Amino acid sequence: MQRVVKPKNPRAKRALVKREPKIIENTKQCLFLHGKKTGEFMRKCIKDIYALKRQDSKLLQSQDQLLPFEDILPVERLAHEHDASLFAYATHSKKRPNNLILGRMFNHHILDLIELGVDNYLGLEDFKNKKITVGNKPCMVFCGTQFEDLVDYKNLKNILIDFFRGVEATDVRLQGFEHALLFTATDDTIYMRSYKILLKKSGTRIPRVELEEIGPCMDLKIRRTKFASDDLKKKACRQPKHLKIGKKKNQSRDVFGTKLGRIHMTKQDLGQLQTRKMKALKKSSAKAKATNNEASTSTAEPMEVSQE
Amino acid sequence: MAATEDQLARLSKVKDIITKASQELKSIEVNREIDLEFDVGNLLVTDKNTLDEEAVYDPDTRPAYLQSLARDGIQALMSKVWDLPSHTEDNAVFVTLPKTTTVLPREKPVPKEKALTKWEQFARDKGLTKKKKDKKVWDHILKRWVPRFGMKKVQADKEKNWVKEVPGNVDPYEDMFAKEKELKRERVAKNEYQRLRNIAKSRKLKVPNVGVTGNDLATSKDLGVAMHHSRFATASKGKFQPTLPNEQVPKGLGKKRKHEQITGDGRAEKKRYMEVLKKVEKNELNLSTAVHKQIREENIEADLAKKGGKKQLRRSKAGGRHRTRSDHRASKLGKGIHESRKQKISKIKAKQETGGLGLGKGRRTERTGGKGKKG
Repeated sequence: MQRVVKPKNPRAKRALVKREPKIIENTKQCLFLHGKKTGEFMRKCIKDIYALKRQDSKLLQSQDQLLPFEDILPVERLAHEHDASLFAYATHSKKRPNNLILGRMFNHHILDLIELGVDNYLGLEDFKNKKITVGNKPCMVFCGTQFEDLVDYKNLKNILIDFFRGVEATDVRLQGFEHALLFTATDDTIYMRSYKILLKKSGTRIPRVELEEIGPCMDLKIRRTKFASDDLKKKACRQPKHLKIGKKKNQSRDVFGTKLGRIHMTKQDLGQLQTRKMKALKKSSAKAKATNNEASTSTAEPMEVSQE
Repeated sequence: MAATEDQLARLSKVKDIITKASQELKSIEVNREIDLEFDVGNLLVTDKNTLDEEAVYDPDTRPAYLQSLARDGIQALMSKVWDLPSHTEDNAVFVTLPKTTTVLPREKPVPKEKALTKWEQFARDKGLTKKKKDKKVWDHILKRWVPRFGMKKVQADKEKNWVKEVPGNVDPYEDMFAKEKELKRERVAKNEYQRLRNIAKSRKLKVPNVGVTGNDLATSKDLGVAMHHSRFATASKGKFQPTLPNEQVPKGLGKKRKHEQITGDGRAEKKRYMEVLKKVEKNELNLSTAVHKQIREENIEADLAKKGGKKQLRRSKAGGRHRTRSDHRASKLGKGIHESRKQKISKIKAKQETGGLGLGKGRRTERTGGKGKKG
């Protein structure tokens, strides 16, 4: 915690530490906003989505006129205050009826923005059945080739995964799969449906899955988009080195389990190696002179030294 | 007859039950044209098959069709999940999800590696480890457990040190308690200074390291540097600073002036001198600036001749540059000074092209390359 002005009590310190950038991050918090003249339809809609994401989101009271596509700064400021990196803003106007803007932040600045039009909406209360527990991690299904082919749809898929994924779970209880979200893409709309998973007996170990629709259900149409530039996207997706698993080179284990290492050496001149000296093999000075005389008279042959 | 009928009825009933049971235990197979793609870590299923467009567009068949799509996807996912390594805890079976494969952007950038502070580096080099200290310490004098820090510790200290012995070598009229307080304040200040110094170091800012820590801790070298700083921080940067009696000015401190090489090729030197020459000696005549200057001078003189005033060598009290009659006329018309001047300038230029410097009632407008007035 390298701050010039130190936090005055441990509680303040904990709050600051929570907001620091970390290697393994906190779950993305979401802000649900709506304007002053949204109308009951959109307010119900946003409340229902908030109900799905209760654990990691905040539903704020009606905001003054926000225009994310024109001036994103007030939204950024709000998100910074609440330490939220996702937001959903519902509005309704004559020009853009039943408007829902989903947005993503990186480092408290806007990353992606997408505007969706909501149609044929049925809320949680329209389906009269028992719902799921709050904060359940949903299973998501994306149908349709558009999610792979079209750029807008691809980005929207990424945003939706980010939005609804919830906690990055490592261990899941097998009975805990309760919620399923389906996004089907056709040329003009994306159908969002939400189901409750019922696990029935099948003859085998793996259960038979049955679904029951619990809502909310809506048809979305992509209106305006404002996606991040490629380099900003790259920057945002950069993962810390700690999480990358590197290969360990030059180490191996043999059959018996002993650890073997591999050392790379420079080329050694075997002629200059320090070995035990055998006096008998030593060339005496007289012999040396004789060989020298011989060498000077005849043409010197180059010596071949085998180098391995 | 009745018995066989009964038996038949029972048989049919049994058959019904069996068919029902077999129907219930439906298959868990999911067969699709293109295989589904999974990201089990995110509980994500991607279905790349082409949709039955009719079924989707028709609002009657839509719910059932979509539900069937979802069901297939989730069934396939469950098959994958059930095959993962599991462990049991508290009567519940847990499954370890694998790492996610979808690339999602982070919330905040990756934290930078923090540089070690001076103490941390020293501790690491020496091999010191952090020892966990107890919150309470046994106090022999008070015969109870006293917290190591905080309000209660201060109170306990007060209890213990209600009296202070005055040692022989200390001035008897000195307030020992005040001295203790002062020393504590110094220690706190030193700690704060060191914390800020660590922060400055990590942010790569420079901090003076002398004159703050106190005389006890400074070596002779440090004192020399302190003296140098105190001399340097004068108006003449220590050059004309008179020395105190018995003061020895420390040698070798301060920035050494770097002289250029006398030997070696003189290309850099030549280049430098030529650039200076270029700036000083301008052979070219900037025609437009010369013209404008001339025009301006003449305008001012003409104006002053009319008004009958002296040429103001200094700036006018009213402020701003000298505005001629036509300037004022133009501003009244609402055109602005510059517009009228532009027109006049174009006239002059036209005259120039024909022949001779068209002097006269020309007005200067645009600043030619910003050098008009300053030049």
